Amino acid sequence: MPDETAAIKGISRVTAIDGKVLRRAELILLTLLVALPIATDNAFLVDRIGRYLLLAVFALSVDLIWGYGGMFTFGQAAFFGGAGYAVGILSTREAGILPLSLGVTLAAAVTASALLALGISYFTIARRGGLRGVEFAVVTLAVSVALERLANAGGQVTGGQNGILMTYRLGPLHQGRNFYLLAATLLVLTYLGLKHFLRSRPGLIFRGIGQNEERVELLGYDVARVKRWTFVLSGAIAGLAGSLFYLHEGIVSPAAVGVGSSTLVLLWVVLGGRGTLLGPIVGAVVLSYLTARLSGALLDTWLVVVGVILVVVIVLIPAGIFGFLNRERTS
Amino acid sequence: MSVLSVSGLGKSFAGFKAVDNVDLELEQGEMLGLIGANGAGKSTLLHLIYGRLHPDRGSIRFNGTDVTLLPVTNRARMGMGLVFQITSVFDGLTVDENLVLGALPKGTVSPPSEPFPPPASVGGGGAEGDGGGWRATDHGAIEKVIDLVGLRSLRGRSAGRLGHGEKQRLEIGMVLLTRPSLLLLDEPTSGMTEAESRHTAGLLQTLRSEGAIAAAIVVEHNIEFIRLVADRVTVMHRGSVLADGPIDQVQDDPAVQASFLGRLH
Repeated sequence: MPDETAAIKGISRVTAIDGKVLRRAELILLTLLVALPIATDNAFLVDRIGRYLLLAVFALSVDLIWGYGGMFTFGQAAFFGGAGYAVGILSTREAGILPLSLGVTLAAAVTASALLALGISYFTIARRGGLRGVEFAVVTLAVSVALERLANAGGQVTGGQNGILMTYRLGPLHQGRNFYLLAATLLVLTYLGLKHFLRSRPGLIFRGIGQNEERVELLGYDVARVKRWTFVLSGAIAGLAGSLFYLHEGIVSPAAVGVGSSTLVLLWVVLGGRGTLLGPIVGAVVLSYLTARLSGALLDTWLVVVGVILVVVIVLIPAGIFGFLNRERTS
Repeated sequence: MSVLSVSGLGKSFAGFKAVDNVDLELEQGEMLGLIGANGAGKSTLLHLIYGRLHPDRGSIRFNGTDVTLLPVTNRARMGMGLVFQITSVFDGLTVDENLVLGALPKGTVSPPSEPFPPPASVGGGGAEGDGGGWRATDHGAIEKVIDLVGLRSLRGRSAGRLGHGEKQRLEIGMVLLTRPSLLLLDEPTSGMTEAESRHTAGLLQTLRSEGAIAAAIVVEHNIEFIRLVADRVTVMHRGSVLADGPIDQVQDDPAVQASFLGRLH
């Protein structure tokens, strides 16, 4: 309801989505985003940053449900990697109507992620609130573990441990600058779309749920419905990013849907600052870049470094880098 | 027709009868004080009425509908508004956003048999009727309520930065915007200074004279506060109703005096 969104926006000037610092950071990051492919001739680097931008969209999908709605999930890779598998199966396997064309494959993969989220929501977000906090996290963790096993044991369908080699490419957008543009466009659109959603009525109710679920129930809202459809939205966003990411990778393997991937995205969100949208974007890009740069030289030591950074951030600035910056100035 | 009709209500916890065979009637326009010593069963009764707890025995009828086993959300949509003992607003949202969350239409689960008339002066936006979906936000009502609770100058501030009394006014405003036909207040003066309590009493009196409160139950320890806001009191003692009536009459009741050891004076 665009008109209503405007009405709500009109009377609420200061919110967590509208901090002064965030607005300035938006400008800086947008400038960087546009400047990077112009500033460098290194097509390989640009291509690689493009990958990280898709990972940033993945991080946004987590920030939506965890950062704003308090739904802590250990299973978001089920949607990101699951969409990769959907793309692989639908576009490379020969059976019945398969393989599908590229466009249909992408649409089907996003739909599959959304449906998986809807399915999970039916046994986690039942009427009257359903599972909260740790219970919800544990179920999503179980989904991750189960999917990884399934991918490993899927034989001809999933390619077992080897995964699936993609045959489709993203046409002229498959690599280099063009791929970067595709990823950057998706990121900007997702960011703006989520900001719009969080200001809308369901978005406001969802933010309320994140702060005080019981109060929202006692005001008479259908908490389960709002949580369910936001969770589905989050799954679809992760699915869209994941299907493009794994097409670009050229391969999807069991780790894509596993606990490791689901945990990594939480790291980006925590470091950047949950509930800030921008923070998780920066967290995803910077940590992915550093991991690629430093893991070669430091090998496993790098994981220890990441672990230490994480502990330090959680202890010193639990709101994450962007949460911290925003809070300092506005309070 | 009574707004609320409780009959034969009972709830035990591990054999302890927290609420024992309680009958209670509340008429349209009435403001009832529910008093009693600690452990008398006031809070349990309140939880049973709004639905956090379900009774072992007895029934609760709300505006003619049996709500005994309905979940809290349904009762809220039917017009029960609860103001918590510990103020419960959305700290990370602005004052305005908190009020919008009160005012947004909720859709209807298990619709009541007939639509409730909104309290006259809070109404104004015609949000009744179609029973579902996202209906228009009633900005007229928000503007009215923000003045009634005196928070206009703080409307852009996040609720987490309000003082205790301001938070309570915000919560009352937010709940009023749901257009409750029955307002439930759980110990609204707990943790307040005497001046703050008088302020809250003044607010409730104003809201009532403005027609914003249709009917209310106030659970309280603070007798002076009850004297200021309630027409009638129900005294609870060990899970049962000890006395019921106008406050002056009730406080002369020897049984009540024995139970309270003079606290009513």
